[in-house]
Amino acid sequence: MGNVKAIETVDLVKRYGTLTALGGVSLEVPEGEFFGLLGPNGAGKTTLIRILTTLLNPTSGTARVMGLDVVKESSNVRGLIGVVPQAMTSDLDLTGYETMDIYARFYGMHRAERRARIDELLDMVGLRDRAGDLVATYSGGMRRRLEIARGLVHKPSLLILDEPTIGLDPQSRHVVWELLERFRKADRLTILLTTHYMEEAESLCDRVAIIDYGKIVALDTVPGLKKAIPQKDSIELGVAGVDMDRAVEWVKKLPGVTSASFAESTLTVFSEHGAEAIPALMEGLRGIGGRVTKVTLKELSLEDVFIHYTGRPIREEEAKKVSFLLGAGVPSKWGK
Amino acid sequence: MHRFLAIFERDLRKFIRNPLVVAMSLLMPIIYLVILGNSFQGELKNLPVAVVDLDSGPYSRKIMELLAAVEAGPATLELVRVADQGFAMEGLRQGVFKAAIVIPGGFSRDVMRRRLSEVGLYLDNAETISAMTIRASVTAALSELRDEFVSIREERGEFRLRDMELYRKIDYDQTLIPGVVIMAIFLGAMTTGAFNMVMDKFLGVEESYFLTPLSKTDIVMGLIASGLLITTVLALVVLFLGSLMSGLFFWGGMTFMTFVLMLAVIVLSTLGLQGLMFMIMGRINHPRIVGVLGGFLNVILFFPSGAIYPIESFPGWLKAFAAVNPETYSVHAMRALLFKGAGLQAVQGDLVFLAVFAVFSVLFGMLAFKRAL
Ligand SMILES: Nc1ncnc2c1ncn2[C@@H]1O[C@H](COP(=O)(O)OP(=O)(O)O)[C@@H](O)[C@H]1O
Ligand SMILES: [Mg+2]
Repeated sequence: MGNVKAIETVDLVKRYGTLTALGGVSLEVPEGEFFGLLGPNGAGKTTLIRILTTLLNPTSGTARVMGLDVVKESSNVRGLIGVVPQAMTSDLDLTGYETMDIYARFYGMHRAERRARIDELLDMVGLRDRAGDLVATYSGGMRRRLEIARGLVHKPSLLILDEPTIGLDPQSRHVVWELLERFRKADRLTILLTTHYMEEAESLCDRVAIIDYGKIVALDTVPGLKKAIPQKDSIELGVAGVDMDRAVEWVKKLPGVTSASFAESTLTVFSEHGAEAIPALMEGLRGIGGRVTKVTLKELSLEDVFIHYTGRPIREEEAKKVSFLLGAGVPSKWGK
Repeated sequence: MHRFLAIFERDLRKFIRNPLVVAMSLLMPIIYLVILGNSFQGELKNLPVAVVDLDSGPYSRKIMELLAAVEAGPATLELVRVADQGFAMEGLRQGVFKAAIVIPGGFSRDVMRRRLSEVGLYLDNAETISAMTIRASVTAALSELRDEFVSIREERGEFRLRDMELYRKIDYDQTLIPGVVIMAIFLGAMTTGAFNMVMDKFLGVEESYFLTPLSKTDIVMGLIASGLLITTVLALVVLFLGSLMSGLFFWGGMTFMTFVLMLAVIVLSTLGLQGLMFMIMGRINHPRIVGVLGGFLNVILFFPSGAIYPIESFPGWLKAFAAVNPETYSVHAMRALLFKGAGLQAVQGDLVFLAVFAVFSVLFGMLAFKRAL
């Protein structure tokens, strides 16, 4: 093989006092993959990202990024990755262009190189016209786009985004998705993205890991994840003019159908590929003299997969602890 | 190089985008000092005065007795008997003495022969308040001598106290200028450098810097360098404005060398305070705490610096604090350079202290700064 893994973690553990934020995470992400980390708030996504991006040291276990150890070779790792942190981190007192330019200089890029790259990126994220305006005048979506462009300014091999669309309106969210697809093609990037939006993981990622309480509970492509759970797509058909017992017997023989049942005039069919089964179902029912009055397809979603593995839907965020005496102004170690 | 300059440039851009902060940084030290200067009228104690008795006659002994009574009573003065007038004047120049009293040879004889006889009072008028106090105290003490003459002799020699100011005329507002400048330096150091770091932390901007190859040294040095430039410029502007307002046109009599020394004092004082801010604020992540600490620090560094009140009048423990307070050395050096036209020799001790303080505070400031969330 000889192929360097973009990300490789072995039994990564991070504890904050008694709280275990990561309870032994082992991951491998090959170069060029769009990898998603899906989990509810507090699952440990940001903690994992912060270890991979050298902001935090793990309590135990190892992590390598582009073949480099994140603890021992942290400075080299930082040169190879581009990161869009969860919180907005662009300086409001600078213009969009200055933000990019100053950031590019942190990577030691030269003036001519910087100028060309920044123009190209600002163009791609649609901020060329606003490059001279202060970031303070940007909307949330614009700021996020600027931060994505900023993360790519030094042409990193790996782009890491921590909940890039959190707090954005649906339209801005779609813009971000399109951008990520385009950057991935343009720069042959490896992308690691965390999210707690099912739709985001489903539409963007080659593979998805479901993380909950600091542990990876499932990891596969989205179709693979769906296949692995017993639930299937369900199709509800309103049927008239036919004996329902006979219809159920007949439908069960169709390829891909795993089970079928009826209640009054509604036939419920479970199938591996719901959408593909519908034409055959319709035709077959007509063939035995039935009339289809209504069709509803309920495709199996990542949400079902999530519920299957975690036993519950995505939960609310836990409150952050802040010192009672001193507010948020002292090192958290001092607070209780 | 590139990297730390990027931080440096960022800070400068952010600073000029906040004109209100610029204006406040300039106005505040001046207003502060105008108010302070006019509200301070305390009683001074233990002002060191050199006494040179070249007469050793009956009347000079009488004068010595009267002065000793002041020393023992209200303790305004602390007398140091000195045999040599040259030594006394040198001590006065170096700030060891606040004044020197010289009783000329043949004083008693002149008094008895009813000739004009003068006791010389040399005052360090670069420090108005102590000079005024000493003058008043000595005049009051010696007026007793005059009364005694009246009762003892009908015709007495005319006796007068003539005070001679050592330096060109300096009025009270002008003597506050070193204080105004050190205040500007303090405020500059407090609102740049480490404060920018706290704001970055508070606004979450810091995280994005930690994700880049920037080292801890790049970050701290970039912040200190920008703070140093901004503060130095502020201090020079305040020095200039303060001088204009009080009519101290120092640039008239100042040599290039003296100006360079003045600049060195400002730069070293700024560096030291920048480092100190990093030491204290390295682990703080809310600007509110900087506000509270800053006000506190300003008071405890400024008042014991000798900018307003002579250090000699402090109790022992406060004197000890003043001796390690960098602002003491800044004020002493600036006073010497601005009013006494002193050269390197007069301020080299101050410069050495300020330099050592700057090196250590920046070093420890760097240690206090954590390149982590
Ligand atoms: N600095 C910290 N100190 C203590 N606990 C923390 C800290 N940061 C995160 N945690 C806790 O670790 C867990 C995982 O947090 P995080 O990684 O931020 O989750 P996610 O990004 O998936 O929402 C949470 O329970 C959170 O409260
Ligand atoms: Mg998170």
